[in-house]
Amino acid sequence: MKRLTLCLAMLAAAPALAQDTSPARLIAGYEAEAGTPANPAAGKALFLATHGTGKPDTPACTTCHTDNPRAAGQTRTGKTIDPLAPSANPDRFTDVKKVEKWFGRNCDSVLGRACTAAEKADIIAWLSGL
Amino acid sequence: MTSRSTPFPEVPVWDIWVRLFHWGLVATVALSALTGFFGDARWLAVHLASGGTAAALVLARIVWGVFGGGHARFADFVPRPRALLSHVIGQDHRHRGHNPVGALMVLAVFVAILALAITGLVILGGWLRLGPLAADLGTGAGHAARELHEAVALGVAVLVLMHLGGVLYESRRSDENLARAMVTGLKEARPGDIEPDGVRPRAGRAVKTIAAMAAMLLSGGLILSMRPVPNQPVAAIDPLTAEECGACHMVFHPSLLPARSWQQLMAGLDTHFGENAWIDAGDAAEIEAWLTANAAETVDTAPARIFAQPAPEAPFTLTETPAWQRLHGTLPEALFNRAPIFTRANCAACHADAETGRFSPFAISIPKETTR
Repeated sequence: MKRLTLCLAMLAAAPALAQDTSPARLIAGYEAEAGTPANPAAGKALFLATHGTGKPDTPACTTCHTDNPRAAGQTRTGKTIDPLAPSANPDRFTDVKKVEKWFGRNCDSVLGRACTAAEKADIIAWLSGL
Repeated sequence: MTSRSTPFPEVPVWDIWVRLFHWGLVATVALSALTGFFGDARWLAVHLASGGTAAALVLARIVWGVFGGGHARFADFVPRPRALLSHVIGQDHRHRGHNPVGALMVLAVFVAILALAITGLVILGGWLRLGPLAADLGTGAGHAARELHEAVALGVAVLVLMHLGGVLYESRRSDENLARAMVTGLKEARPGDIEPDGVRPRAGRAVKTIAAMAAMLLSGGLILSMRPVPNQPVAAIDPLTAEECGACHMVFHPSLLPARSWQQLMAGLDTHFGENAWIDAGDAAEIEAWLTANAAETVDTAPARIFAQPAPEAPFTLTETPAWQRLHGTLPEALFNRAPIFTRANCAACHADAETGRFSPFAISIPKETTR
């Protein structure tokens, strides 16, 4: 019985190890860092806008992710990108390192600069609400 | 039929096997030439099949030249030097079978086709690292054999033209249709002809010999082909590299670029083909170590050899290398832009084995266009 309990505990722990965060916790963290509440409408506008201040081949988030984050996107080399919206892809926004890496890459590619914490909160808030 | 007032009787000259051999050779040589001179990599399987068949026909014909009867036998038509000279200066009787000059053509064609088969096997083993000789040879031997293969192929084309010219000339000179004779097997028996020696074919021994040769060649080829091939691209892709690099594009095999190119590529991830592809320093170092440890210098394959010479102005862009341009130059640009290919960088769209770094010509299939 003790062994069974221990096994169950280990099994229960496994999923938690694969997900070190959640959309809600990320939003809370970025809000705290920014000092302002997340604004989904602003996140939507940022995501859908064409910016033209980053790299020429990637003028917008929608260049790869399309304007429907619940659908799959596509890289410039033709590779499929799983949906960004957590409602369509529960794995999204569950890995801090990954989230920070992709914000770091894509904000620079699209905007030509790092995203602010407020912008990150806004975008995740919008994507989480879809 | 003949226009002569007193037609000569027609007698059998070419047995059924000689005729089947001849026309089979015509078909396989023509197919090999078309696919070799004009076909792209996708035609290689057909080229190999027709070339292999031509070689098999020649080997079988050689056996029949020993065990066959009448004019099929080498003893009947391979000329001694004095006989050749007599024929050339016009002091010769009529040969119903091959005349001495024709006999030389036969021998030359046999030698050339066997040379093509051997050089073809060397290319297959050395350049493509496939088949019986893959374990013994490298791309250097394969590349040299390719030059020789092309030269001999041109030689065969010349021999064919000479053969056709000879047939036309002799047909006119002796007032008979030699090409028709190779279909019907019949020729006129005329006074003064050199008489056949009446040797009977030994079909049973011919069949046994051909079967034994076939068994030896096939089993030998199979056994040799099963040996492990050295200096091949690393098979297991590093998981970190697969995850990081494979997120946006196919995982390009490390053997496709020299180590220096990989280093340059990894040093500029913030402007990686028009995007920011930043990776944290620890992961980047690990990936770079794996890429350089398995780079083009560490393998001996055709893709590694040809891509190891990147374009100077684009030191890590495969599609800018002279080799890539040459290999894909006949394909329309629109092909690369349409779905489901989308871009030149999407090798895996057509090359099923792209991520192994092998790019076998047997694994190429251009997909039909899809909606985007």
